Amino acid sequence: MAIEIPKSLDQLPTTRPRYVGRGIRRVEDVGLLTGRVEFVDDVVLPRMLHCAILRSPLPHARITGVDTQAAEALEGVTAVVTGEDARRWSLPAQSSPEGWGTHCIAGDKVHYVGEPVAAVAASSRRVAEDALELIEVDYEPFEAVADPFEAMKPESPRVLDAQETNVMLDRVFTWGDVDGAFADAAHVFQEKFRWNRLGANPTETFGCISEWDPMSLDLTIHGSIQSPGMFGLGRAATFGLPSNKVNIISHPHGGSFGGKGGTRGCDISCLLSRKVGGRPVKWIEDRGEYLLSGGGQAWDRHYEVALALDAQGIVTGLKVGLVDDLGATGEAYGAISAAKPLAAFTGPYTIPVAQYDLKLVATNKLPCGPYRGMGPPPHFFVLEQMMDIAARSLGEDPAEFRRKNFIPADQFPYTIPSGNEYDSGNYGEVLDQVLALSDYSAMRAAQAEARAEGRLVGVGVASAIEPGVFDWNAYAIVGMPGTGVPEGATVNIDILGNATVRVGFSLEGQGQYTLITQLVADYFGYEPEDVRVVQLDTQSAPPSFGPGGSRLGVAITGAVLGACERIREKMARVVAVLMQSEAENIEFMDGKFMLKGAPGAEMTVAEVAGTMLARSDLLPPDIDPRPEATHVWTAAGRTPADEQGRAKSYLTAAHAVHIVQVEIDAETGMVEIQRYCLADDCGTRLNPDTVEGQTEGSVVQGIGAALLEEYVYDEGAQPLTTSFMDYLMPTVFDAPKIEMVAVVTPSPFTPLGAKGCGEGAIHTTPAAVMCAINDALAPLGTSAREVPASPMRLWKLISEARNRASDESNDD
Amino acid sequence: MKPAPFEYVAPSTISGVLEILGQNDPDEVKLMAGGQSLMPLLNMRLSRPALVIDLGKVADLDFIRETDEGVVIGAMTSKRAVEDSELILREHPLLWESTVAIGHPPIRNRGTVGGSMAQADPASEYPAVALVLGAELVAVSARGERTIPADDFFVTFLTTCLEPDEVLTEIRIPRLAPRSGWAFQEVARRHGDFAIVGATATLRLEAGVVVDPRIAVFGVADRALRFSAAESLLTGQAASDEMIDEVASQAAAAVEDPLEDAHASADYRRHLAGVLVGRVLREAAVRAAEASTGA
Repeated sequence: MAIEIPKSLDQLPTTRPRYVGRGIRRVEDVGLLTGRVEFVDDVVLPRMLHCAILRSPLPHARITGVDTQAAEALEGVTAVVTGEDARRWSLPAQSSPEGWGTHCIAGDKVHYVGEPVAAVAASSRRVAEDALELIEVDYEPFEAVADPFEAMKPESPRVLDAQETNVMLDRVFTWGDVDGAFADAAHVFQEKFRWNRLGANPTETFGCISEWDPMSLDLTIHGSIQSPGMFGLGRAATFGLPSNKVNIISHPHGGSFGGKGGTRGCDISCLLSRKVGGRPVKWIEDRGEYLLSGGGQAWDRHYEVALALDAQGIVTGLKVGLVDDLGATGEAYGAISAAKPLAAFTGPYTIPVAQYDLKLVATNKLPCGPYRGMGPPPHFFVLEQMMDIAARSLGEDPAEFRRKNFIPADQFPYTIPSGNEYDSGNYGEVLDQVLALSDYSAMRAAQAEARAEGRLVGVGVASAIEPGVFDWNAYAIVGMPGTGVPEGATVNIDILGNATVRVGFSLEGQGQYTLITQLVADYFGYEPEDVRVVQLDTQSAPPSFGPGGSRLGVAITGAVLGACERIREKMARVVAVLMQSEAENIEFMDGKFMLKGAPGAEMTVAEVAGTMLARSDLLPPDIDPRPEATHVWTAAGRTPADEQGRAKSYLTAAHAVHIVQVEIDAETGMVEIQRYCLADDCGTRLNPDTVEGQTEGSVVQGIGAALLEEYVYDEGAQPLTTSFMDYLMPTVFDAPKIEMVAVVTPSPFTPLGAKGCGEGAIHTTPAAVMCAINDALAPLGTSAREVPASPMRLWKLISEARNRASDESNDD
Repeated sequence: MKPAPFEYVAPSTISGVLEILGQNDPDEVKLMAGGQSLMPLLNMRLSRPALVIDLGKVADLDFIRETDEGVVIGAMTSKRAVEDSELILREHPLLWESTVAIGHPPIRNRGTVGGSMAQADPASEYPAVALVLGAELVAVSARGERTIPADDFFVTFLTTCLEPDEVLTEIRIPRLAPRSGWAFQEVARRHGDFAIVGATATLRLEAGVVVDPRIAVFGVADRALRFSAAESLLTGQAASDEMIDEVASQAAAAVEDPLEDAHASADYRRHLAGVLVGRVLREAAVRAAEASTGA
């Protein structure tokens, strides 16, 4: 029998939801704030050893010798592993695109600075680090390539020996008659942009404890792991093990934002464990390792973009050329970030045709991984700058120019040229709300006054889509197979009526355990303290992907409500037998089963659960006597990608408009954000406090992207930003007051009408801040085409523009 | 990120420190004050001393004392203590202003005045302030005590004129002359970061002209720089916009080999030095004018 999952709050079996849709105190916070949850570095196992990793100081070199004898002789050292051990016991990493992975420890050559060349297991991390200094590695340096345009040339040094070229992928995707649109256009605008490499920096880096029994080959890994199920499958593939031999126990961890890669370090600790007879080996990535060679670098991009418009200023075509520098290998799945823009390629606009000229290139830099937003934030940065270039050139207000290009509210569901379907939206309303919130016309008036005084004040208006509830099919063009991302939950009612929900993912900060508690409490008429959420290891848990792709809030809601529905159905049958009636005569509301037309004939959930568990003799023989059910939810109706990558992929399309006011100090290039306003529509807000928290954090990360964060490499591919002295995260002092307003257009396709919202504002913020900066620069006749807009870059633009102006006036 | 092995001692007297210094090769020894620079260097194995002498237990190095000339600050006095001192806020506002520009509260809780002086980081605030205020630094060794003017103290990157067997014990800061104007500004990528460039200045206005201007910048070169030629140019002149612009460009031009890193090129640093010298001179002149009329 098909399970019907409530599509809106009023379909929940309660007179009035008391918890879902409200900001309740998070159930996770006491444990997190007191440090009582068990983070992986708190775990101490019997006979445990500690791992430290020796890393290449060179970006590209042949390894001609590794001498580990002195390290092995150091007191406290149990084992040393090198590339030889990696080749004996593991396979090259799986990668996207396929064939671009290497072993977790370098064999014949190193491909980037920080690549592991050996590792030690010792009695403590300190001893292990002492031992690293005793390992002698002989290198024969090669020329390195740090620039993707150089890397594409045939004469370039080749990064991977196994490949004939450094070009991982070179394809043009065309959706509709793009040439026709540009040929017929009344206006065409074209521009180049640069988005510099940046990335996730969670509070906690990656860490793990690996135990690999050399006899049974059972592999158990404790770790701060974002997607334990996927991580386990990846380890099984790397070590050639049956998937049921690998058990992953993820621990609560201090955030991820995509930066919990960690596979190389984890695989190395596995090799060490096997070498020392299966003893547990702990590897805690330190911040230096994270910044040099961790899972947190992403989006190193060079864009060339063209926009076609008709005579009325309606955008009729979009061409995006992207050269994406993925670093040395495809092991960290940075390629997915180049594919994901297909899910929202044309943003919130009616642009009917589009083209994507995509080149993925290998260089001697750290392999790129995921980062919050997974690729669209740079795409929307360039699209929104193009929208402003067009609006400015046509003399139109940027807000109204966007409005007339918006997909109208009555056209949803709406299929975009790159194939995805947007579920719902009301973009004009979102714009209206933020215009009102910001008092936009007053902002413009104040700007005019400031400009008259010669101050560089700018107002940016940017609009973007947050694709929510990801599916693998979105990434088909970079070789990710398949469709369908399941999330499961088991709900169990005990003999006293208390509920336990078992899931397959750990605490990461987003508050999903609170959401589960809200859902179960409202479904069964419980209080939050009647509900407990526990996490299982991957060999015990229901199918689970965990957090990622702005998906888990929606998916876990579907899984939990599905399991609740199954319990209700089972209990209704039990109640019908006990009341000598039929199941269809039993109603369920506010935690009570009631016999229709018989006032007073009712049982609570606790009574039914107690009866089922204590008196199975009273139950019909075909009923499983446990008041427990598992439901596995996955987005319905996802389609395989066609040859141009088109698919119904991400299930929801949240929308936002941000309005930002900045002032640039013309002498120093420093940017001050004076106001930050936004409106966003992510459908039903299951926990508004959580949505606001996600939004605030994501705005601040977006400001980091626009103004601060950048991994710098020199021309020889040496990294220059290897500590927090040089890699600049925004702090609380860089966070402006954020004014927000919500618009709610429920999704017709999801549980309770919620849309994915976890990645959120970073889709819009870098675009909005850069639009504001360029609005401020406009009177000088210059514009910033590179993020981050560092003070030095802006100072150069401003002084060059002023020099040009004074040259011209001298010529007059 | 664990330090290489080292020995650690924490003597309770300055004579104990000198005795241990005398018994060891001074080049193998690091003195630790608040540890805010040394600890990361140790953990990254960029500094590998055989012996670390922790000054944290040494008596009588943590004080702020008013004297007839100004204030004397013990080398182990925390920046937080300077920040919290009513005396400093009232009598030495430039020192106070530069103190709260250093890092964040947890850094100021541990970081010390003497530690910043002896570390001589080119981007550190205190050395530049010591230059414009005419501070004197007192060092002791087994050979005795000596007093070093700030102008002679800072040599180059992370290097002072202290001998390996000397320990900095106190910093003497004269009170600003009556009716002085002062200013302190810096450009940093984020609040609390080491400045890309900072500048500070003091001056007086008498009969409409500038008297005894002192100008210093930090973050620009291998050490905090004082600009004597620019100071001479300004002396005896009205603090007009044109004059200040000229002094600022002369100061910027006087910087030899500006630093260059991932955040700021040499050109940008030189440019900022000029901008900030102009800004601190204007601000100091306004304060001096207010002090003359208001007093």
